[in-house]
Amino acid sequence: MPDGIGIFAADIIDFKCNGSGGREADRWQSMSISQAVEAAGDGSTSEFRRGVASCAPVLFGTIPYALVLGAQATQKGLSVVELSAMTGLNFAGGSEFAAIQLWTSPPHIVLIAAITFLVNSRHLLMGAALAPFLRHLPRRKMFPALFFLCDESWALGLADARQRAAAGITPAFSPRYYMGAALAMYFTWVAFTTLGALLGPMLGHVETYGFDMAFPAVFLVLMRGMWKGVAAARPWLVSLVVAALTYLMVPGGWYVAAGAVSGLVSAWFLWREA
Amino acid sequence: MIDATTLFTIVLMAGVTYLTRVGGYLVLRNRTLSARATAVMEAAPGCVLISVIAPAFVSRNPADLLALAITFVAATRFSMLPTVLIGVASAGILRHLIG
Repeated sequence: MPDGIGIFAADIIDFKCNGSGGREADRWQSMSISQAVEAAGDGSTSEFRRGVASCAPVLFGTIPYALVLGAQATQKGLSVVELSAMTGLNFAGGSEFAAIQLWTSPPHIVLIAAITFLVNSRHLLMGAALAPFLRHLPRRKMFPALFFLCDESWALGLADARQRAAAGITPAFSPRYYMGAALAMYFTWVAFTTLGALLGPMLGHVETYGFDMAFPAVFLVLMRGMWKGVAAARPWLVSLVVAALTYLMVPGGWYVAAGAVSGLVSAWFLWREA
Repeated sequence: MIDATTLFTIVLMAGVTYLTRVGGYLVLRNRTLSARATAVMEAAPGCVLISVIAPAFVSRNPADLLALAITFVAATRFSMLPTVLIGVASAGILRHLIG
């Protein structure tokens, strides 16, 4: 799930370290720099293909998630075209799940835009982390490339750039590798959310079967991916309590804004020098 | 097929999201965020996600609460797909049995 979906950055980096990526890194280290450059390939096609291949395991985890989102969107009254437009233009799964969950007819525009910003605010940090590696890119390439920035493409692109930097390859960041991973994620996401929307009406009312529990399930797994210890998670508890109380006492979708803001404020005040 | 308000909302979402993608690069690249500000930014997505699903935690239906507890435990152990399957199956079965 693009962004926010599926596998979170930390998961991916784990995957890179523990899975085939780790062996890959070992292989890099045992090679001389010239060998490494050769293996990395300056051939554009092979770099693109390398990006697609490294993304493949993540794509499989994305598919069920995408199907659930598409199916849920049609239950909320979105047409297939509208859902495809959302996943194709926005391409940030976490915010799309949140938007669909809060969707009413007509939608509450300000609430959805604000929630989208908050869920995707992590891109700000991700873009800043990637910045040193993007300096050599011309702007006409960088701005389109940043459109495809999602948790997966970011984590893969950054991990790859660090490995290449360690192996002495310049430039460390491989735009074609990054775009291979990013476009594979993009087309998987848009295609399977659309398929979910097409299949959705055949499933009937999701509550009957318990499909609505897919949302908490997805969100909880995403949050585990962001887990950085009990202390860092205390604002989440504040958010949960405030959002739940607001939900019980105030009609409408305000519980999300109340929970999110109180969590952020508590994150600021609960922070202690490490 | 496409409702004007819906389309507007979607385009606005897309614009906001693209701003977060280029904003970090353009604004933060030459700046160091304080550790405190970084901690707040890192907490933000989780705060939103848990707030969105908060109503499930105060459901009045015991079957739903039990299913949520099972899903919660599953989420701490398994990856996305098994967790979703366990969550959906437990909600479906428990609602049938209790609800």
